[in-house]
Amino acid sequence: MTAFTNRVSSLTPSSVDFINRIGAWNHLKKYRTQKYEQMHVWDGVSGAAIDFGDVGLEAPAKPGVIATMCENDNLVRGLLRRIHELGGVEMIDKTRVKSIGYGTDDGEMDLSGWPVVQLDNGRELTARLLVGADGQNSPVRTFAGIESNGWDYGRMGVVATLRTESAGENVRTAYQRFLPTGPIALLPMPADHKSPKYDYATLVWSTTPEIAQKLKSLPPAQFASMVNAGLRLPMADLEYLYKHECDVTEELNWRESVLKLKDPKLPPKVVEVQEGSVASFPLKMRHADSYIAERIALVGDAAHTTHPLAGQGLNLGIGDVECLVKTLEHGVMDGKDIGSVLSLEPYFSERYLTNHIMLGVVDKLHKLYGTDFAPVVAARSMGLSAVNSLGWVKNMLMKQAAGGKTLIG
Amino acid sequence: MHITTPLRRSVQLLSTATAPALVVPTINSRPFSVLRRPRPNYPGHVPLTTPERSLLTIGSALMSFFDPRRGDMIAVLGEVTATPYFIYRLRDAMLASPTGRQILRDRPRITSKTIDLDKLRAMPENTVGREYAMWLDKEGVSPDTRSQVRYIDDEECAYVMQRYRESHDFYHALTGLPIIREGEIALKAFEFANTLLPMTGLSMVATLGLKGEERKRLRDVYFPWAFRNGLRAEEVINIYWEKELETDVDVLRRRIGLERPPE
Repeated sequence: MTAFTNRVSSLTPSSVDFINRIGAWNHLKKYRTQKYEQMHVWDGVSGAAIDFGDVGLEAPAKPGVIATMCENDNLVRGLLRRIHELGGVEMIDKTRVKSIGYGTDDGEMDLSGWPVVQLDNGRELTARLLVGADGQNSPVRTFAGIESNGWDYGRMGVVATLRTESAGENVRTAYQRFLPTGPIALLPMPADHKSPKYDYATLVWSTTPEIAQKLKSLPPAQFASMVNAGLRLPMADLEYLYKHECDVTEELNWRESVLKLKDPKLPPKVVEVQEGSVASFPLKMRHADSYIAERIALVGDAAHTTHPLAGQGLNLGIGDVECLVKTLEHGVMDGKDIGSVLSLEPYFSERYLTNHIMLGVVDKLHKLYGTDFAPVVAARSMGLSAVNSLGWVKNMLMKQAAGGKTLIG
Repeated sequence: MHITTPLRRSVQLLSTATAPALVVPTINSRPFSVLRRPRPNYPGHVPLTTPERSLLTIGSALMSFFDPRRGDMIAVLGEVTATPYFIYRLRDAMLASPTGRQILRDRPRITSKTIDLDKLRAMPENTVGREYAMWLDKEGVSPDTRSQVRYIDDEECAYVMQRYRESHDFYHALTGLPIIREGEIALKAFEFANTLLPMTGLSMVATLGLKGEERKRLRDVYFPWAFRNGLRAEEVINIYWEKELETDVDVLRRRIGLERPPE
């Protein structure tokens, strides 16, 4: 089975457009990326569903791309090659940051307000502007004394690379089923070129730490059956499979023979899990109080962390980068000191609210679907069915998720 | 027919795994419900339209109330009031238990063909099998007196209803309630608390026919026992009776957390 790494992101069209505009897209291995044109999202408790990009009466002849699945390694590789091609950038690798501090005033130059990065090879780098793109536990953010608030979801995201039966269609579909413990998503990866009967897919299953532990302990064939169960079987069966030691494949076959599931929109069957690709990470929501301080800017996970249910984490980060670059360009054109809070301010004010709304919507969705309390299930199901039948609402949501013009400007 | 569509849509929304499709009338649609009747889902199944189901509910309720000896009407009322929610809940309770799942896989039936009553009568004192056979003999009934489920649409849920019905005589053996009217009503109360099937609750109407003293004993002695034990004990639908025939009743009672009823 061809190896796809398990760390994969869904890039919105506007993210792909940005990567293309900066000249990096052509450096990616495009045969390792996969576009998808349809999305099927449904409620595991009630079965209420919403479809995006489906070939209905109003659908255009050529369906639009909803997002592109891309391995993080592939993206990083493409970006590095582009940096190399452009030149003028010194890359320092295999080196750790020992500490971050401030410079000194030697009488000739006052660097007391400038961050100095101490490397473990003895080098010191003094920065006019230090950009922290250093992840959730950002040392740059800690150095700047910027608080980051939020909460842990008490959930794990279980990821894996899978091989599925091929739907035999040219358009590919992303699937997400909301279970009360968290959504399970099956996202398309490239087709298996050796065997046209199969496609690859990547899994993101948000669930409780106990169930995540159970999933990780399953042998590969049982894991594949458990994913199929998670995407198909009613809650009563899933509860049983979570709690009891049993032959998952056998239980799945029996329940499928009784239930006779024949919804054509069901996801393709998972046939195999790539060995060693099952991993998990804790899910959190965090938002920094500010993205900027004097000579400091934060981007991506250093500034905000979100639940993966909308596939927006990396896209928000790319949005930050695009906006920060634009802000710095203006600063340079106007001859400003690009490290000053004054010239960074437009970056913060433009991104904070956009990110805050996305983080909030994702958080509310997590909470809305995190229950099987009947009145809530009924209300959310009616709401979802209503949205599904209102084309213009759906189009608006799609545009929003694709990273086009936002509602609030 | 089309007047009922919104109602059926909303019911479907809550109870089935697929989103309902819009019903679009076509030239070929036939307005007579008898011709549009869906195909049965299992042998003996009678699919009902919503108005038919409502009529049958009211009719069987009235008949059962005025003539409690109409076991067939009580059975029908039990079926039509078990959907859409209660029988699914009971099925899910079975799916949550290893034994319950085994019963759903095997789908054993309790009839005079599958149960050898002579063998049960010869079993040692206080075994489930012997107590069951003795109960049947005292009542003068056989395992075959339970009628076939017809009005539950889901095939698996229909089996659950059938299983509940056929297990009822075992509940007498299990609880050891005295064979007096209060005992029978107390058993219904126990079943209601344990299975939540509405029909078992509706049977409480029978208390209206009791004399003052009987009613007092029921209220003070049997009902507290029935509700406490019905809620606390494991779901009795998950007992694989065919495999417990040789088990001592007291042992089984302890295993599922059931107190001996007051004398």
